[in-house]
Amino acid sequence: MSAPPSFLRERAMAEEAGLRSRHPDAFRAHWRRRAGVVGGLGAALLLFVFALWDLDVSWGRVIGGIGRLGEFTELMFPPRFGTVERLWSYLHALVETVAIAFLGTLLAAILAAPFGFLAARNVVPQALFHFGLRRVLDTLRSVDTLIWALVWINVVGLGPFAGVLAIMSSDFGAFGKLFSEALEAADRKPVEGVVSAGGGPLHRVRFGLLPQVLPVVASQVLYFFESNTRSATIIGIVGAGGIGQHLYEQIKILEWGHVSFLVLLVLAAVFVIDAISARLRFAIIGQRTGV
Amino acid sequence: MLEIDDLTRRFGAKAAVDAVSLSVTPGSFVGVIGRSGAGKSTLLRMINRLQEPTGGTIRFDGRDVTALRGQALRDWRAQCAMIFQQFNLVGRLDVLTNVLMGRLNKTSTVSSVLRLWNDSDKAMALAALEMLDIAGLASQRADSLSGGQQQRVAIARALVQEPRIVLADEPIASLDPRNTKVVMNALLRINKHFGITVLCNLHSLDLARSYCDRLVGMASGRIVFDGTPEALTDDVARDLYGLEAGDVMDPVHDAGRPQAAATAAAAA
Ligand SMILES: Nc1ncnc2c1ncn2[C@@H]1O[C@H](COP(=O)(O)OP(=O)(O)O)[C@@H](O)[C@H]1O
Ligand SMILES: [Mg+2]
Repeated sequence: MSAPPSFLRERAMAEEAGLRSRHPDAFRAHWRRRAGVVGGLGAALLLFVFALWDLDVSWGRVIGGIGRLGEFTELMFPPRFGTVERLWSYLHALVETVAIAFLGTLLAAILAAPFGFLAARNVVPQALFHFGLRRVLDTLRSVDTLIWALVWINVVGLGPFAGVLAIMSSDFGAFGKLFSEALEAADRKPVEGVVSAGGGPLHRVRFGLLPQVLPVVASQVLYFFESNTRSATIIGIVGAGGIGQHLYEQIKILEWGHVSFLVLLVLAAVFVIDAISARLRFAIIGQRTGV
Repeated sequence: MLEIDDLTRRFGAKAAVDAVSLSVTPGSFVGVIGRSGAGKSTLLRMINRLQEPTGGTIRFDGRDVTALRGQALRDWRAQCAMIFQQFNLVGRLDVLTNVLMGRLNKTSTVSSVLRLWNDSDKAMALAALEMLDIAGLASQRADSLSGGQQQRVAIARALVQEPRIVLADEPIASLDPRNTKVVMNALLRINKHFGITVLCNLHSLDLARSYCDRLVGMASGRIVFDGTPEALTDDVARDLYGLEAGDVMDPVHDAGRPQAAATAAAAA
């Protein structure tokens, strides 16, 4: 299907030399950019190969191991919990895990809120201050929950309290940064409306920024709660309370039926939290009027 | 009486508003016209002090408002209500709360932050909304409204500020012809009924001619015309919009909307 020769096409062809000389940039091949893309891909490939070699990845071991993986899977069925007392202690641990995640997330969010405001350029227009605070938050954020758990266990001893503190510490930095970014991404126009009507600095934040930012922040907190339920399972393994402890013990004594039962419990909990938080998120960002 | 003297605002080397002097008598409806980039918005925003002047003074009833700070500045802002092209409402809040923003300056910080408004403030807000025929929307979220409705909410917010002046920065530039008429008529009404001075930036010459009793023409940050709509001859208008400079974009743009101009003229 060939298009009929158009006026524009004819004109462009007749004028091509002129167009080329008037707009040299548009016709220049972007060798630099192309070289960048090719170079980048090449570097990524090299890194991949290097990693395979350096980490001693041996396909033979993987294939040999698959058989054992199959055996474990078989041993996992049916999932079982032994005695009813055991069941209760598992359920109790699950509730503890969810509680650790909930408290840790909530404390992190509450603590991070004022820092998020201070770290936002459009709330505190102080470049140096805001740069310093950002780097502090980044530093806290870069330490993983598991490491925080090991630290807090040494400070407050084994148990769920250390777990709560661990989640709080690692998410504090992330929340601070996320909150401040949400504030900076907020639309300036409502703020200007409030200022033009004679509103003060507090009004600016309360009415111009907060209604815009709160739904974003709330849905981030809900996401973190979800993912922290999984983190709280892991930190249980190092002794920071919750269901992880049981999981670790059952793996050690090769009780695969119990392991699969515990995994299913965590799965169910995450599923339920996911469903609830999805509804909450929808309610918050939905059509109702904000705060 | 608003008196502007030698007012200048620079952005880098460029003067957006260049030594503008202007006095506005109370109760007048002044249209500020000119091409985009002429400095109209900057002029209005400096009066409300959303933008700081580089030089010159703004006086209101003899008082210099260019140097005001803190509470005095916020009081001044409440007195010269601003209406924006993009409405500048808080989209996620309901209409009534948006209108009550106009009372912030007269409400204690604690009660305003907790949204505990006075009954008398609420009554004012609802009265303003009724006047603009949108009281039925009071509990709706502002961002669920059409552009014309949102601009009326913004006008209601301006009214509850009990302002002496209303500064409108291209209030109809984002609206269709019908809403243009509704919004311009609302501005005309608050001018004629309440005697509030209106200073309105307009892109469209026909609208300016039909609604304003005085036109101020700006070009490159300077005032190049100041007089009645009748005095604005086609020659002057051509100068203002720089036809001679070979810039045909603006007139074409205006001619593309003859319907808006016609309906607005019919309304006035
Ligand atoms: N915040 C700003 N920073 C830099 N330049 C600006 C800013 N605001 C306005 N200007 C410039 O000042 C001139 C006048 O702008 P403006 O007052 O918005 O004109 P108008 O409202 O008549 O279209 C324009 O050239 C614009 O680019
Ligand atoms: Mg403008």
